[in-house]
Amino acid sequence: MKTCETPMIEIRNLHKTFGKNEVLRGIDLTVCPGEVVVIIGPSGSGKSTALRCINRLEEITSGKVIVDGHDLYDPATDINYVRTEAGMVFQQFNLFPHMCVLDNVTLGPIRVRRTPRAEADRLGLALLEKVGLADKAAAYPDQLSGGQKQRVAIARSLAMQPKVLLFDEPTSALDPELVGEVLEVMRALALEGMTMVIVTHEMGFAREVADRVIFIDQGRIQEQGPPDEFFSAPKNPRLREFLGRVRHA
Amino acid sequence: MALDFQASVMWESVPLLLGGVHLTIIITLGGLAIGFVLGTATGLAKTARGRLPRAVADIYVEAIRGTPLIVQVMFLYFGVPLATGMRIPPVTAGIIAIAVNSGAYIAEIVRGAIESIDVGQSEAGRSIGLTRMQTMLYVVWPQAFRRMIPPLGNQFIISLKDTSLLVVIGVGELTRQGQEIIAVNFRAFEVWLTVAVMYLVMTLSIARVLRVYERRLNARFGR
Ligand SMILES: Nc1ncnc2c1ncn2[C@@H]1O[C@H](COP(=O)(O)OP(=O)(O)OP(=O)(O)O)[C@@H](O)[C@H]1O
Ligand SMILES: [Mg+2]
Repeated sequence: MKTCETPMIEIRNLHKTFGKNEVLRGIDLTVCPGEVVVIIGPSGSGKSTALRCINRLEEITSGKVIVDGHDLYDPATDINYVRTEAGMVFQQFNLFPHMCVLDNVTLGPIRVRRTPRAEADRLGLALLEKVGLADKAAAYPDQLSGGQKQRVAIARSLAMQPKVLLFDEPTSALDPELVGEVLEVMRALALEGMTMVIVTHEMGFAREVADRVIFIDQGRIQEQGPPDEFFSAPKNPRLREFLGRVRHA
Repeated sequence: MALDFQASVMWESVPLLLGGVHLTIIITLGGLAIGFVLGTATGLAKTARGRLPRAVADIYVEAIRGTPLIVQVMFLYFGVPLATGMRIPPVTAGIIAIAVNSGAYIAEIVRGAIESIDVGQSEAGRSIGLTRMQTMLYVVWPQAFRRMIPPLGNQFIISLKDTSLLVVIGVGELTRQGQEIIAVNFRAFEVWLTVAVMYLVMTLSIARVLRVYERRLNARFGR
């Protein structure tokens, strides 16, 4: 586990209830700059909810979420600004279907950062190049494969030059043969030092890329550690059971 | 008694009726233009977070949808001036009536279209730092608008036909022109047939124009 003086993400005693359903029951998590944290856990355990609290797509019941020194749920915080610091990559991609690929990527820079279009286009093309899709700049999302869509979505998030990237099961909606190309891009980002929090079922990827793996179950972090220890000597019985199920799936 | 059909009566009534067509079009376009703005604002209010805009929008929509247009027209033209002391010219009253009436129906079309867009779209917009307004403007609205076109076309056609009710306040639109010609020549069959054909040409044109527009939009969006 990395230690650091100024954490990139700091979550303290986070609680979240939907109606009577207490989904998060006190999450504490500190993520250092450049750290790659992978979150695993059974369906419905609150992984997505926890992740969505890191750029305030959910309102929280109590606790604190601090991203790069900004208290996300403090009414004085400019939430639109802070959201640009934490990009989100969704399972369903959520590309804008009425815009071509390049416009998907440049919308944020042009409208939020007021970057002149020519400069935004240059930046957008460079990012598409980076995810291997420069030749698709003029295509529409409907004309892309799932893996290509997800890579465009990553480029769209990167266009805001975020300090953190959040991934919610980025490869779960993909055909198996398209998973690799997306993981490839994520691996490259990790190597560049991007701070990432990734919810995924890709255990091989977690083992290889993560600095730390976290097991969430019943709204709490039940176990965490560097991947070797985490996967080879899991202590929590529910984690052992979960890993057994995933391995044999 | 056999009908002694005279085609020439139809031709002769055309120039006078065209004057009515002209006014029908003006009232329809004017009413719908204002109705679209009103309906969009109301539809957006219905999707707003605040309770007050939602309540105001609900009252407006329910009041209009729950009462006959003809009552709304007469209330506006004969009733309201008694309260305000200000007479409204018939054509203006007609445009206002069509605007207020279509606005309520358009509001429902707008709300439905906006709510039909996946929440993932606004979440993606908010995640790159767009404000709520920008997300609506650049992400949700363009997609919702495309879905609005068929029901809007429907409403345009309904509103165009509704203008014929303005006969009760003496607006010289197409139906009124027909009545006046018949009052002189008593050729009800030929004149009402001509009037009907003219309405049909207008409604079919609206449907046609909107279909072409929709196709062009879809082509531009790459589907
Ligand atoms: N908007 C919502 N309204 C009500 N309940 C919700 C909402 N979002 C999530 N929940 C509930 O919160 C719980 C946790 O959901 P969450 O999506 O965070 O789980 P998850 O760990 O991401 O599961 P999965 O692996 O299936 O994605 C579930 O019981 C879910 O039904
Ligand atoms: Mg989830």
